[in-house]
Amino acid sequence: MHIVDIHHLTKYYKKDRGIIDISFSIDEGEIFGFIGPNGAGKSTTIRTLLNFIHPTEGRATIFGKDVVRHSKEIRRNVGYLPSEVHYYDDMKVIDLLLYSLKFYPKGDIHRIHELSSQLELDLHRKIEDLSFGNRKKVGIVQALLHSPKLLILDEPTSGLDPLMQQVFFRMLEDERRKGTTIFFSSHVLSEVRNLCDRVAIVKEGQLIKVESIESLMKNQLRSVILTIDHPEHVSLNINGIVKCEIRGNEIQLLYGGDIRELLNAINVLAYQDIRIEEPSLDEIFMHYYKQEGEKTNDL
Amino acid sequence: MIFRREIVRNLKPLLIWSGIIGGLILLTLAVFPQMAKQQETVGAMIDSLPDAMKKAFGMDRLGMDSLIGYYGIRVYLMPTLVGSIYAAILAGNIVAKESAEKTIEFLLSKPVTRFQVIGQKLLAVIVNLIILNTIIVLAALAGFQFAETSDVSPGTFLLLTLATFFLHLTFASIAFLLSSALRRTRNITSTSLGIVLFSYFLNVISAMSEDLALIKHFSFFHYIDAADIITTNGIDSKYIIVMVSIVIICLATAFSYFKKRDITV
Repeated sequence: MHIVDIHHLTKYYKKDRGIIDISFSIDEGEIFGFIGPNGAGKSTTIRTLLNFIHPTEGRATIFGKDVVRHSKEIRRNVGYLPSEVHYYDDMKVIDLLLYSLKFYPKGDIHRIHELSSQLELDLHRKIEDLSFGNRKKVGIVQALLHSPKLLILDEPTSGLDPLMQQVFFRMLEDERRKGTTIFFSSHVLSEVRNLCDRVAIVKEGQLIKVESIESLMKNQLRSVILTIDHPEHVSLNINGIVKCEIRGNEIQLLYGGDIRELLNAINVLAYQDIRIEEPSLDEIFMHYYKQEGEKTNDL
Repeated sequence: MIFRREIVRNLKPLLIWSGIIGGLILLTLAVFPQMAKQQETVGAMIDSLPDAMKKAFGMDRLGMDSLIGYYGIRVYLMPTLVGSIYAAILAGNIVAKESAEKTIEFLLSKPVTRFQVIGQKLLAVIVNLIILNTIIVLAALAGFQFAETSDVSPGTFLLLTLATFFLHLTFASIAFLLSSALRRTRNITSTSLGIVLFSYFLNVISAMSEDLALIKHFSFFHYIDAADIITTNGIDSKYIIVMVSIVIICLATAFSYFKKRDITV
């Protein structure tokens, strides 16, 4: 059964584009990444799933129930972590978590202590005084404390230091072993890569692609920057070069082929420096756009 | 949960406002015995006031020599005007505070319907107003003890109490509608305070001149005018109908709008 099922979901804020005709589904027990730059429509999609906002067109179901009509039943088994965590300024951490717990009949107070000790969260501080990262931890505990069947996390790692990110990812792995489905958004591909089974990529409100991490890794792109005198005289004729640009004394390549083949070809050149990096999300999107474009041309 | 939370969160302001209103009522009533003793001087002083002013404060029809008249002229203003300001601030903040402080996402991600969210908040407003009005009544009853002889008829006092509560409820409903429809608490507070004060001054101005008498129908303060209630021993039924309709319309609109509204923070 699909845990989340989105059909042609469209949302306009008056005339401003939110998302356009998005469709995909998430299977039970899956960790599903939702990738896109800021303003791509990730939060809009998530807010529609939680019924904070109403779809302009299309529909979505969670656990097979319509997100608009059965929102309350759905939310019994959903944990949500917003991208920006805001809580009541008169509360201490423990007050907020206990308040949150009261909304769930099967809530268990031990879980608050268990989760906060994992995250090293001090329960007796005022939320107002917490740093962004610590507030995020409160949000994580709050999202997990009722052992939801579906976790919806909007940019969960922003604000967490790398060490805490590792702790958090381990917690997600634990959840997954219990059978929890996890849907989380991010604008960092590398972060998603180690954790997710599949990702959906969105840009400018539209779904570009849904792909498994395996195949995403298979045609993995590298950004190769070569510093060389007179780059205009260089010609590289190998397969897998997606994009080639010359800027000053630099050649910037987007390369998707065998990396050794490229290095062999470069080795004979009199280059001064070489940098091989992970391409930015934008470059990956360009790549996908191009692929989509070619497909349409073939038809 | 939400109801309990709102009661706890609003307890401090409630105590402060009821303390202020209750204290003012007690203090003002404590002066009455002296006033009553110096009846002639006070009477002469009132006579010397301009007619328009006498009308505006109901002094043309009420006498300072009776306890209920004194209550109508000097005291009644405090629970009605100050209480309405409290009601407007309370109801104006109760929903919009969640949007302004962006906690509404937290609340709505819990298994509650929007109806429950706003319904429990409305209930908290009503309970707060009942507590405030109870304190007003207790303060007034305690204050009446200062007078050597009391001519206050329980029926008339009950009418004044109900009128005060209805007035609070009316302003609270208008502010509550704004609160559930808009996002900015600052705008809501100033708008709802504006409505209360505008309504009050409309009533004062309309009483000053016969030419302006028509506009009194647009002021809720005129609907619950102490001189009217005390002299006729009743509240004009058409005004009750207007107030009840406004309460029902505002609340129904607030509920239906909040249910459909997009919550963006």
